[in-house]
Amino acid sequence: MSAAGVSLEVASLAKSWGAVEVLRDVNFSIEPGGFLTLLGPSGCGKSTILRLVSGLDEVSGGQILIGGKDVARTPAAERNIGMVFQNYALFPHMTIAENISYGLKVRKVPKAEKEKAMARVAELMALGKLLDRKPAQLSGGQQQRVALARVLVSDRPLVLMDEPLSNLDAKLRVEIRSEIRSLNKKLGITVVYVTHDQSEALSMSDKVVLMNAGEVSQVGTPKELYDRPANTFAAGFIGTPPMNLLQAQDVQAPATLAPANGAGKSDVLFGVRPESLGLDAGDAGFSVNARVESLEYEGKVFLVHLITPSGTRFVVAHSGDGVPEEGSEVTANWPDAATHLFDKSDGASMDFAL
Amino acid sequence: MNMRLSYGMGFILLFVPCSLLVAFTHYPAFKALLNSFWNNGSSIRPSRFVGARNYEALLEDDKLMQVLSNSFIYAIGTVPLAIALAIGMALLVNSRLPATGLMRLSFFLPTMLPMVAVANIWLFFYAPGIGLASQILNAFGLPSINFLGSTDTSLVSMMVVAVWKEAGLFMIFYLAALQSIPTNLKDAARLEGAGSVRIFFDVVMPLLRPTTIFVAVNALINAFRLVDHIVVMTRGGPNNSSSLLLYYIYEVTFGFRDFAYGATLTVLMVVILGFMAAIQFWVLNRKAHYQ
Amino acid sequence: MNARMRTALPLVMSAAIACSASMAQAADLEFYFPVGVNAPAVATIEQLTNAWAAQNPQHSVKAVYAGNYEETTTKALTAAQAGDPPQVAVLLAIDIFTLIEEDVILPISDIATSDADKAWIDSFYDGFMVDTMFDGKVYSIPFQRSTPVFYYNKDAFRAAGLDPEVTPATWDEMVEMGKKLTVKDSNGNVTQWGTRIPNLGLAGAWLFGGLVKSKGDGLSTDTGTEARFNTEAAKASLEFLQRLADEEVMAPGGITWGDTPKAFLEGQAASIWTSTGNLAFINENAEFDWGVGFLPGGDGPGAPVGGGNFYIFKDITDEERDAALDFVRFMTTPENQAIWSMATGYIAPSQAAWETPEMQAYSERLPQALVALEQMPHAYREFATFQRARVTQYLVDAIEGVITGGTDAATALAEAQEKADEVLGEYR
Repeated sequence: MSAAGVSLEVASLAKSWGAVEVLRDVNFSIEPGGFLTLLGPSGCGKSTILRLVSGLDEVSGGQILIGGKDVARTPAAERNIGMVFQNYALFPHMTIAENISYGLKVRKVPKAEKEKAMARVAELMALGKLLDRKPAQLSGGQQQRVALARVLVSDRPLVLMDEPLSNLDAKLRVEIRSEIRSLNKKLGITVVYVTHDQSEALSMSDKVVLMNAGEVSQVGTPKELYDRPANTFAAGFIGTPPMNLLQAQDVQAPATLAPANGAGKSDVLFGVRPESLGLDAGDAGFSVNARVESLEYEGKVFLVHLITPSGTRFVVAHSGDGVPEEGSEVTANWPDAATHLFDKSDGASMDFAL
Repeated sequence: MNMRLSYGMGFILLFVPCSLLVAFTHYPAFKALLNSFWNNGSSIRPSRFVGARNYEALLEDDKLMQVLSNSFIYAIGTVPLAIALAIGMALLVNSRLPATGLMRLSFFLPTMLPMVAVANIWLFFYAPGIGLASQILNAFGLPSINFLGSTDTSLVSMMVVAVWKEAGLFMIFYLAALQSIPTNLKDAARLEGAGSVRIFFDVVMPLLRPTTIFVAVNALINAFRLVDHIVVMTRGGPNNSSSLLLYYIYEVTFGFRDFAYGATLTVLMVVILGFMAAIQFWVLNRKAHYQ
Repeated sequence: MNARMRTALPLVMSAAIACSASMAQAADLEFYFPVGVNAPAVATIEQLTNAWAAQNPQHSVKAVYAGNYEETTTKALTAAQAGDPPQVAVLLAIDIFTLIEEDVILPISDIATSDADKAWIDSFYDGFMVDTMFDGKVYSIPFQRSTPVFYYNKDAFRAAGLDPEVTPATWDEMVEMGKKLTVKDSNGNVTQWGTRIPNLGLAGAWLFGGLVKSKGDGLSTDTGTEARFNTEAAKASLEFLQRLADEEVMAPGGITWGDTPKAFLEGQAASIWTSTGNLAFINENAEFDWGVGFLPGGDGPGAPVGGGNFYIFKDITDEERDAALDFVRFMTTPENQAIWSMATGYIAPSQAAWETPEMQAYSERLPQALVALEQMPHAYREFATFQRARVTQYLVDAIEGVITGGTDAATALAEAQEKADEVLGEYR
């Protein structure tokens, strides 16, 4: 397959349904062959972005540049984009072969070329034996591969995927996840992928766009999102379990702690990932006194659920020996490097000095 | 609330509908079959067994041949027309156009009216010279058409009434079917470069097929079953040009009071309808399911 | 069908007996009547039946509106065969042979035997009594009798330069005057036809009988076993109908009965051939000067008579029978004939009715009403035979076949004759 990818840039994208604004000032870009994920809870506007990029819905403002060319007003069919839908959107009355070749038929691709493309895709997606069946006779995983095949057969340089794995069971999801990633690498196509599953986003993407209520919350590589959440929303959405957010009055911080911009110590929230926390580990930089509420065995670690005197709940991923008893008083502490500070008023990440 | 019915109660509950069914469906059908082997009697000339003579008469009945051909034309004409109109209306009503609620109501209204009322409305509409149809034609400088008084137009006029009356109901079925078609199928086709028309024929129509089969069979049966408008508007005329099978049965049985031949015609009709029902089941079982 | 009714019979009979037993001397009459005209007929019928009930408090009468003529006959026959006949009904005069064949009616001359009764029967015009008789017995009493007349728009006559007091007497005059009365608009479309003769269905066949009579023949006889379709008179009549359309005097194709008064009122037709039963309706609604004349004829005047008569049913108790006869006599007193005639336009069927002061005043007020009476000597019985509905349908098919352009008159009539003879042969 010769589908070299194409770049995509979205600038100041906006969308309203009547008076309801569903997207505001969305900006991101991905280089050719890249894998970009739109991540966010349901209703955040990530699928809307996909529909705008594909041309299925009209933009209310902004630009969509594919290969540097603005296509925001170009009809969907002329954007040369492939799309994989959440429920696969296979035509139930057509055979698998007809489903895959439908686009070629619509575009009147010559027969010889069509057959060649079909054979190639069928082999690539291991669908050879299923071509004469109807979608209803296929398993969920097989249907998903047909949906992928339908996109791949047309050599689209940009492929959009709208939560393509959400209908599959956990095991199959992991399998197809890696299959999609390897297709992306092997064929060099640009992929824009929508999911609400942060682990999916982190494991597959070159770049993640985290969406919150119609706005971009943070754009970055998976590692950036994990290591440096730009705000409390990002902190709370990425990671399993997500980052703990602690009230200043519960935290014993080094006296030298100085939040940027001269903010007072009580104006901040402390962020720390459960896996960075230790229990009664002596004199690490930061500590919190708390009572053990419950324990959750996770195999590799115990998740210790704690509650501070002020009533804030947080979690420690405890991997050492000596599990504390429920109801006992403990001190949780963490090193300076694992500390994140957020502005209490708007949730934005803050720099600090020690 | 553990209410277990005794066998006695169950029997009673079953008995009522069963006896109604037997009394009003099975017994009359069986009786019609029996009557079809007797000739027509009156009080002073009792009927007698004549074997298959009534059935032989069927074959020689020129009027029956005309009535059957009328019924055939009527069915072949009204069914596709009603379906096409129903789909068109459903698409219109299902679109994002304004006032779809009002459209839905007005399309469905004819279905809610009794056929006799519909027939009276159309009777006025068709009346040559004074009717609305004539006035519209005259407004364009065209001569009036004697819709019901001409053998060329009477059957077609009846078909138009039936289509008008029925399409609204079928629209409801299509509307439900349209709304159950996932949008992303249409989206997928659109991204592949298919235009609206192409999407309709490649994706929407095939997915409406179960509905179409259902509606077609119903429309076909209605075409044989619904003759109220014939009674009101043309009484089968002129010169039997708008007479349908059921109307002919009515005319023979209650007009001519020929119960024997009426019964024979009824048996013929039952056979035709049974044949169509059999096709219905066969087609529905074979073709209608995708999932 | 008959057999099925017979199984239900014992049940219904025992119920009926139980009912009548408890009533002793009194009779509860059920009276079926049809409505076939645009007139306040139901209200008048109820007014008259209530008057009888008030005079006869020991009896009661329930007037049942049973639809049009055909439906009323069907209902009465069905009820009779189920053993629960109405005691009295107004049914078509021409249903006599059907009712006799089904053996459900009593000859009234058998029960009305007193001198007063005989005088009463003799009081009706002969023209209306012809079709009440079979085999020397009187089976029915004339009640809502009608005959078609020629209604014409005098304003339209004036506009066409015709004398508004002279109506066409012959078919040729009809064609000639009709041509003048036909008006076209600038597009060449007709906006007013010269005349309008309903030619579809049973009404068409009825009027056709008048055409045949004017050529000196009749379509049927009092034997009930003869249909005279294939005659010179019938052929000429059918050709006349064709000629009206060919010469653009009348709209081509089928013409319905029901729309005819309306077409007249709305100026679509300068003249119409329709029943006297429409007199009251047209009088009330016409916004122009109108008149009534004899139907134009072939060799002379001619018209059919039609309408309904009182019948008394069999299988009723003696008390019911006596009450029924009394009821029929009451409904046909000269005074009540006058009330009924004035309300509906039906022709009062006896000389005595026309001599009542009310009727005298009425005919002065609405002289058009007299025309029908004067036309009566030229009227002939409506087509009636055994198996009437079926045989009439052959005639209807023949007429419709010709006027809608499919067949020629001679062929159509010969075919109708052949079929009719086949059916009637059994009865001869």
